[in-house]
Amino acid sequence: MLSFPEPVVSVTRLSKVYRSGLRMKRVQALSDISLEVEKGEIFGFLGPNGAGKTTLIKILMGLTEPTSGTALVFGRTPRDAAAKARLGFLPESPYFYDHLTAREFLSLAARLSAVPKSEAAGRVTGLLRLLRMERVADVQMRGFSRGMLQRMGITQALVADPELVVLDEPMGGLDPIGRKEFRDIIVDLRDRGKTVFFSTHILSDVEMICDRVGIVIEGRMVEAGRLSEILTGDVESIEVTVKGVTGKTQKILERVSQHTIKSGSELMLTVKSDEEVDKIMAICREVGGIRVVGIVPHRRTLEDYFMAHVAKAGRAS
Amino acid sequence: MALNTFRESIRDKVLVTLVIFAVLVMGSARVIQPLALGEDAKIVKDLGLSAITLFCVLISILVGGRIVYREVEKRTIYIMLAKPVRRWEFILGKYFGLMAVLVVSLVVMTAAFYVILLVLGIGAPLYLLLAVLMTLFQLAILTAVAVLFSTFSTPITGALFTFAVYFVGHLTRDLKLLAAMSPSPVVKAASYLFYYVLPNLSNFNIRPEVVYGAPLDPYALLLSGLYALVYTATLLLISAAIFNRKEF
Repeated sequence: MLSFPEPVVSVTRLSKVYRSGLRMKRVQALSDISLEVEKGEIFGFLGPNGAGKTTLIKILMGLTEPTSGTALVFGRTPRDAAAKARLGFLPESPYFYDHLTAREFLSLAARLSAVPKSEAAGRVTGLLRLLRMERVADVQMRGFSRGMLQRMGITQALVADPELVVLDEPMGGLDPIGRKEFRDIIVDLRDRGKTVFFSTHILSDVEMICDRVGIVIEGRMVEAGRLSEILTGDVESIEVTVKGVTGKTQKILERVSQHTIKSGSELMLTVKSDEEVDKIMAICREVGGIRVVGIVPHRRTLEDYFMAHVAKAGRAS
Repeated sequence: MALNTFRESIRDKVLVTLVIFAVLVMGSARVIQPLALGEDAKIVKDLGLSAITLFCVLISILVGGRIVYREVEKRTIYIMLAKPVRRWEFILGKYFGLMAVLVVSLVVMTAAFYVILLVLGIGAPLYLLLAVLMTLFQLAILTAVAVLFSTFSTPITGALFTFAVYFVGHLTRDLKLLAAMSPSPVVKAASYLFYYVLPNLSNFNIRPEVVYGAPLDPYALLLSGLYALVYTATLLLISAAIFNRKEF
């Protein structure tokens, strides 16, 4: 018999309604969200600010209860200590105990995560070295910069060497070097067989490292799947750049293309299909004296996709 | 968790200030000593024991009142509760951390108290420690009250409520008297309710007996200890139940 591996995270028809203010106004944070995260993959949870990303993560961490639907982590309810023992969590803009030094805090995290005492000190030192925090290991965290706090956040999440790592906006507020560092850490985790679930509104992060994404807008999951399936790889448009075009030829070329931009002696033509490219090439050959200096196909990016969805959601509401 | 709370409070300036202030107050007995015609030894002892109780109560209320709230406000709770820690364990950790702080403060203040007694040439009998022990029992209850309020209210409201409980807790005997004497059934019911629900803290005040050398009933002391244990455990259970239902 075939056995299917159990998903690491499984969310089924999850909804969350907050009641706020004196009149208990309903705020629908999540509506009917379903998703699964498989072992060993990087899952990007993508959406604009206020889409409900943090709410879902809080439910997965057992900090908040769903209004309806179920959320399971390693097949257990999120509050189950046995599930929490297998995961590491980095909240958005993490804040730590000011009064502790980096080393003391990590030792506390290790103790709470039931890391054996004999291993704890070694592991803490190793992680501090990995994240280049050795220099400040014995300094109270009061004066830590945003980047340092974020690095402390990932360190405490990894201290028990968890199978699942959940990161809420891990790249938020980091400079390009810091973002690259975090991407490397996430990819390295997957290479070591770990599962990573992270939320972000920064598209390039997702495009570079995610195996699968879920796109959430206004609490609804509008798309989930492999990036390669969502972005089919179809060429959306082709840019042809030509040089040495005269006024009359320019008029002919403009009729063939959707869009033209004149820049100095160069003319950039945007067309939809290969046939139109052929047509441009034929015209150029016929007229003579025109050189084709570039042909660049444009594929659909996650950004195009994302913007289209946001626009659609905006129109619907 | 308890160790962390301990460290947090020990490194807090409020605590250090309070302990130093308490020692200063005890030391000030030196100033009033000449004024107290022949009663100086008793006054110094009374003042010292009162200062120890008062300042520990302040620590309990001020630190305890924000002990859980602070974790929620600063969102450190997200990290803590994502670890394999059960919510009731979190509450117990916070409570025992603060109790550890109070025990250390009590020990430091009591040691300073005995040093002052010796320096002033007043006898420093060990039975004064009984009053300190009863203060500790009282603090156990009061801290549990503070932790309870801290699970659902802001630090200032929590501290005010805890102080109110402390205040009324010392007047419970009067409440019973009021209940017996009041003609109004509403006042009667309310007084009885408060009498039975609020902790009876006046039982823990044996300062006059200790200072004036009156006899003490060992059974009453034992009973008070037992009362503190049961009352504290009940409050912690309620705190854990509230905290368990809380959403962040």
